[in-house]
Amino acid sequence: MAVHLPQPKQLRDLLADLLGRDVTLSPSAPFAPGPDTPASVALYVDDSLRIGALIACDLAFSAYAGAALGLIPVADAATAVGDGKVTDAIGENLYEVLNIAASTFNVAGADHLRLHALHPAGPPLDPQVRISTLTLGRREDLAVEIGGYGSGLLSVVLL
Amino acid sequence: MKILIADDSRVMRQIVIRTLRQAGHGGHDIVEAENGRQALELVRTEAPDLVLSDWNMPEMNGIDCLSALRASGSQVAFGFVTSEGSEEMRERAASAGAAFLIAKPFTPEAFDDALRSVI
Repeated sequence: MAVHLPQPKQLRDLLADLLGRDVTLSPSAPFAPGPDTPASVALYVDDSLRIGALIACDLAFSAYAGAALGLIPVADAATAVGDGKVTDAIGENLYEVLNIAASTFNVAGADHLRLHALHPAGPPLDPQVRISTLTLGRREDLAVEIGGYGSGLLSVVLL
Repeated sequence: MKILIADDSRVMRQIVIRTLRQAGHGGHDIVEAENGRQALELVRTEAPDLVLSDWNMPEMNGIDCLSALRASGSQVAFGFVTSEGSEEMRERAASAGAAFLIAKPFTPEAFDDALRSVI
């Protein structure tokens, strides 16, 4: 079996339903975090604990999606963006967003994946994890506008 | 009735409680657990009427919790609220004795449909 690459509509529907807000997706250049770029990276493993995919998000998506899930005021999310890192509360919520996003991989006939770990935006990324976000090939790179909050970048990368 | 909500995410427990209210099932006693092991203990000490449990949790996952409950003779009504919505997972849940599986993200209507089957 192979890992399923979630389609933009799947991701849009999931985010809109989960956050209870209008969500607009548009194609974007690949999100390529540098050594000093704050980025959140969620790692997904298969049933043999092999990492099969990751979702990388920029600081803005991390802050807005995490805040929107827990109805945290948009001003707090904007402060997190200005500070260059998400707060613990926003990070905890982002974990749940990306945990539920695992369901977009799990279609019939594809490898079953689940969230293994989240590196929240702020602290420097483990270099190996950061390099994995730069993998070319089967990936989906999107700009995501979360109604009432703001827009950021999200990339799904199959490894 | 008393409802035990098991989920390692605090915000998701709050969202489940909010959705219960939106689905017209507010006013119940709510007990919260952070993982399956804690849920197992709380079923014993709190005797809830219904358990709403996540699937993937640290310490003990939801399906192991359900199996342990049934192995111990508990017949408490048990439903999953999880991002694991595939047919295979639904079949595993049902054969382990779950009454329903609500896939995240969920709607108040999905909660109402599922809860009306056990309340």
